[in-house]
Amino acid sequence: MPKVKILTVCGFGVGSSMVLKMKIDEILKQYNLAAEVITADIGTATSTPCDLIFTSKELENNIRSKVKVPVVTIVNFINRKEIEEKGLAFLEQLCRLK
Amino acid sequence: MAVLNFFINQIFREASLFLGIIALVGLLLQRKSVSDIMKGTFKTIIGVIILTQGTSILCNSMGPLSNAFTSLFKMNSTAPLNPIGTDKFIAQFGSQIGIAMLLAFLINVLIAKFTKIKNIFLTGHHLFWFAFIFVALGVEAGLKGSGLMIMSTILLAIYITFVPALIRPFVRAVTGDDSFTLGHPTVGLSIVSGILGKYLGNKSKSTEDIKVPESLDFMREITIISSMAVFLVYLVVGLMVGGKAAALYNTNKNLVVYSLLQGVLFGAGLTILLTGVRMMLAEIIPAFKGISDKLIPDAIPALDCPIIFPYAPNAVLIGFIVSMITSIITMIICAKAGVFAYAVLPLTITCFFEIGTAAVIGNGTGGARGAIIGSGVAGILMIFLVGFSIPFLKHTVSDFIIIFGGNDFSLWSIIVGAITKFFGLGA
Repeated sequence: MPKVKILTVCGFGVGSSMVLKMKIDEILKQYNLAAEVITADIGTATSTPCDLIFTSKELENNIRSKVKVPVVTIVNFINRKEIEEKGLAFLEQLCRLK
Repeated sequence: MAVLNFFINQIFREASLFLGIIALVGLLLQRKSVSDIMKGTFKTIIGVIILTQGTSILCNSMGPLSNAFTSLFKMNSTAPLNPIGTDKFIAQFGSQIGIAMLLAFLINVLIAKFTKIKNIFLTGHHLFWFAFIFVALGVEAGLKGSGLMIMSTILLAIYITFVPALIRPFVRAVTGDDSFTLGHPTVGLSIVSGILGKYLGNKSKSTEDIKVPESLDFMREITIISSMAVFLVYLVVGLMVGGKAAALYNTNKNLVVYSLLQGVLFGAGLTILLTGVRMMLAEIIPAFKGISDKLIPDAIPALDCPIIFPYAPNAVLIGFIVSMITSIITMIICAKAGVFAYAVLPLTITCFFEIGTAAVIGNGTGGARGAIIGSGVAGILMIFLVGFSIPFLKHTVSDFIIIFGGNDFSLWSIIVGAITKFFGLGA
């Protein structure tokens, strides 16, 4: 059973995407879901196979046009409530399917 | 004793292995599976190696340009820069950097636990680079062994604890809440921009009321705009030196083709560097965060600057464009007037991240006008910061500051370098 792969994307793929990754890891843990969350910049994100992408408002246009998987746009990367509201449905669906 | 010596002299001296051990301990403490522990430890070690290779490509891609600049502005070439070099420096002083990171972070946690300063520095790559700069300044001051370790740890602890606290009110003006602050070398420039915005700006018109065309979206990708900027600079400088270009650039390629290749080489180096940083920190930062979560539940994280970009994405672009213009003008004036001893190059990365953030902060205190004035002045200051900081790092990592400086890295190099010089330390 292959693990679900989720990308968190920011400009450098180092700092704020790491913050988002840690928040998503927390949510996954709370709801008992299993997935691998990886940080990436745009170039890496659009060329890396994955199941779901989280990113910010200013980068979403650059990503959405280039990928086939769902893209979730988060305004405040440390607002757990927003991430849950926008992303949890996708997370539950994906991790149940596999 | 032999075992201890082996660890200290062989393992700890290798940056990659030392950081691998930090990751390993972190993973063990989190009780991860054997598979995760193996994966995480090796990825960290490989990440450090990739990181040093990336910096080496990045610095090499800018080398010929420095030559051309020096010749173009007839700089004093009697004292050429001859640093150890970033990649070799990390290889040689990696464990000092690692120890400073670890100890300074623990000091930061203790201060947050027992005082009113609640911020915890969680921007891993800047924790690394600040440690790197402070170790370099220690080496420049002639320190060795425990002296070097103590000085770099104390300076790093001061920076990561107090500087994010300084910018916190400005971040609050942008976000409207107090959930995070910035842990990033933008702080000095951003505070200047925030204060200018407050007194000279006009809050009624925000940068976000301006309609920015979608065709500028490519500018939000740092590897692309950096490559383009480096390409253009090589080309323009090549045209200015005219017939000497081939010799200065040491190439027999066509100038346009050569410039383009140097530009994409820079982009490639940056991508490799980032991949390395990402792999190096993927395990260490969650472990650090785990420690702080357990000890200080009400901590305010000090985070990487792009976290603030979504609050004013237009300001980021405006800040980049305005500061590129003001900084290049300043650079040319300074070069003609012979202000600096060594060549200063255009700083695309600093204009994008540091000054992009400064523009967001300026917008927060003074609207669009605040953003434009703030980032314009920041662009000018950036050139002076980088120009005056190069001499303080000339034996160690000046090749790093030429590409990534003009921000707090430069500011603190000048302050610490001037103080150590005053006390007669170093060469």
